[in-house]
Amino acid sequence: MKLKIEVIDTLTPGIRKFTLAPVDGSPLPRAGAGSHVVLEIPGPGRVWKNAYSITSAAEAPAYEIMVRRVEKSRGGSAWLHDHAKAGDVLEVQPPQNLFAPQRLAKRYLLLSAGIGITPFLSYLKLPGLVYELHHCCKPEDEAAFLALLPSGPQVTLHTSRNTLNLEELLKRQKLDTHLSVCGPESFMDVVLATASHAGWPAAKVHKESFGGATGGEPFVARLRRSGVTVTVGREESLLDAMEAAGLAPPCLCRGGACGECKLHVLDGVPAHHDHYLSEAERAANNEIMICVSRAKTPELVLDF
Amino acid sequence: MSKSRPVYAPFGLDPAGRAHLVVTSLDAPPEGIEDSLANIEAWTVKHNGPGVPAPAVAGVRPFRSTTELLAQLSHRLTRETAGLRLYAVGSEAFIWDAYNAAIAAGLHPSEISLHRAGPLVRRVYCSHCRTIIEDVPANIVACSSCEAALFVRDHFSRRLAAFMGVKVDAEVPGEIPEAEVFTS
Amino acid sequence: MKLSLKPQETFRDDYTFSNSDEAILRFPFPFPEDNYMYSVNMEPHVRGGASPVFNAVFDIDEHYIGDMADRAITLEQDPLRCQVLPHMEEAEWDTLELIMENLANDYPEHFSLAKNGDEWHWINRPLEIDQKFTFGRAETLPYGPFEYITRQTQGDFSLQDQRDNNLFMDGGMVTSQADWSLNFDIGMSFHEWHGPVPLAHESGVFDRALQYLLRLQYGKPVRRLNWTMTANPRLDTSPENYPLWGPEKAEITPENVGHRMCLRVELQSLYRLPRSNAILFSIRGYLIRLEELAKVKKWAIRMHRVMRDLHPKIIDYKGQSRYRQHVVDYFAPHDDGRVLNPGIAAEQDSI
Repeated sequence: MKLKIEVIDTLTPGIRKFTLAPVDGSPLPRAGAGSHVVLEIPGPGRVWKNAYSITSAAEAPAYEIMVRRVEKSRGGSAWLHDHAKAGDVLEVQPPQNLFAPQRLAKRYLLLSAGIGITPFLSYLKLPGLVYELHHCCKPEDEAAFLALLPSGPQVTLHTSRNTLNLEELLKRQKLDTHLSVCGPESFMDVVLATASHAGWPAAKVHKESFGGATGGEPFVARLRRSGVTVTVGREESLLDAMEAAGLAPPCLCRGGACGECKLHVLDGVPAHHDHYLSEAERAANNEIMICVSRAKTPELVLDF
Repeated sequence: MSKSRPVYAPFGLDPAGRAHLVVTSLDAPPEGIEDSLANIEAWTVKHNGPGVPAPAVAGVRPFRSTTELLAQLSHRLTRETAGLRLYAVGSEAFIWDAYNAAIAAGLHPSEISLHRAGPLVRRVYCSHCRTIIEDVPANIVACSSCEAALFVRDHFSRRLAAFMGVKVDAEVPGEIPEAEVFTS
Repeated sequence: MKLSLKPQETFRDDYTFSNSDEAILRFPFPFPEDNYMYSVNMEPHVRGGASPVFNAVFDIDEHYIGDMADRAITLEQDPLRCQVLPHMEEAEWDTLELIMENLANDYPEHFSLAKNGDEWHWINRPLEIDQKFTFGRAETLPYGPFEYITRQTQGDFSLQDQRDNNLFMDGGMVTSQADWSLNFDIGMSFHEWHGPVPLAHESGVFDRALQYLLRLQYGKPVRRLNWTMTANPRLDTSPENYPLWGPEKAEITPENVGHRMCLRVELQSLYRLPRSNAILFSIRGYLIRLEELAKVKKWAIRMHRVMRDLHPKIIDYKGQSRYRQHVVDYFAPHDDGRVLNPGIAAEQDSI
């Protein structure tokens, strides 16, 4: 659907908030807490498809998203910061929800860092949510994040590692609490490892995973049935490269979580970065999630 | 769980747990737990003469009935913190009652481990009058309230902690097949 | 959509139910081939397709008033036929919104919905309902939102919570079911509530169906057809009341099978709900007496072949052992051995 940028707010030098409204005033598809949209961002000679959490409530007449300007940006976030202006119209895919709140959780422990706060901003708009939020950010960004969050003992901002005692925090939670974490991969890895060490079962630990596509060494992918060969560059994913070559493989979350983009590997060894395949499936190396995974060998041959 | 009839694994402690609580409807905890990981507590059902509680000894705490144990379990779980693993050992009805107490306290099924011990009897739910019939040994049983001859299906509800009973001779009253004793 | 509704009809006791010729021709016949086996067989729930019942999002037909009256009787006798677990409240409102908007859109002569912010005004002319309420505030409705709207929509419904890579049936309105109990099954996971279905587990049908449904997207509902048989056009064929309707199955004879025995087809459709991320499962049942079905030549022939060659485990699970031969014999005279086209279309315009 076509949405126009109604308002752009600069929250910090590296974070901009966008309000996206329908071009023709028709009602927007409702986005429940935890939803994200994929923006198709025009670049020179290609289109970037980036997913962003919706921070506004389901009843809002427009979507609000927040975009961090990624330093080694593949282009999308840079365009949104440097070129986008109010009035621009973008192609936006309808909202999907891969990070919905757990309806059975009586209480939530929310841990976020930096731009990872965004899915939780929609959670906090749910009436009656019982939660404790700890958000980590740079000292210079503290004021901006405080303005986004409700005041009260359930919200704590940490501008240095020293004030967040993860182990103690995780150990003292009651058994009716679920943990949700969102932020850079390294942050989430530390939280998950600490939780596991404290005896948290994996089923009560939830991480937002759609932003996880990482770059790596270039490699070649031969798509056997299409008769096409693509070179996957350092800063793009295999999915990006296939789409740039005019192919349309199935995909949904673009973050290695949903299983939609799974392709059969006919030759070569994949390097798995997804959250979908089981241990056994990864070891077998017969499948690859093309939106986030790459190759261990210089070439892959795929059944597409 | 296979389809809807639960299948049970042998008893074993989860090394990922930080603390362990074993509850059993039997009068002693499972073999060998004293020797394994630290931080284990076991609750049993045993009494010292009519109405008299038996003392707790070395991490083993007896209750006078499963009812008393389960009430205490609910209370305890609301005070516990992350990392606990709960294990229930005993009759199928008891272990699922313990399961439901744990779920109500906010535990996830992966924090609960169930192990069946004792006679192969089932708790049955009469679909017609909603009566619960305990300790049913074979797949045909008369409902203690509405008198329907019930066929006990292999369909199990965790929430009711019971198997589904449906009138076996509804179509031709009196046409009741031979009952088969439960082997699982 | 033009639709004329029968003012009353019974689905119990004297069973005055009958299908007009128009209703017969629009019946969702479930067998596209001469034999039947379970499959996932889901397709996008878009307007149109192989049957006229696919033309609306939630199909209303001539039996609407009698159908809803029968539901009210069942609920009066057994309120536990409608239950929603406490954590599903957002899904209730999602359901109310989805159904009201679509009924008003598809049948404007029967239903109207006007919104002023959260103040909604709902009119249901056939049931003479004129209701103003505040969306999101359950105390402004006479029932919980899910019960309120499903008392006005044909078919059974279940609400599924998506968590742990699974679906859990955490709510439902179940008054016209093919022999399953909401009070027993509520809270079960996808494989658990399908537990009793034979054969399908071995072939992995449920594993694939679950994976498919976990990725169901908002705005892209799906549908499939399921079927069973009922002795007499009875809606409440619940386990709870099996002692009442069970004997009716044993009373089927070769002489009365054409009139009393009904084919019951479920149009199952599934919708992703936006706020709760839950899935709404609509189980819309259609009944047709065999003698009505036989008026469509292609269907009569195909019924003979499907019923004759049905897998024994399916016969047993669908509870048909007692009378299946009567059904086969009833349709046999229609089968002249001709080759039939695949597909479910009636291939005739009039009776």
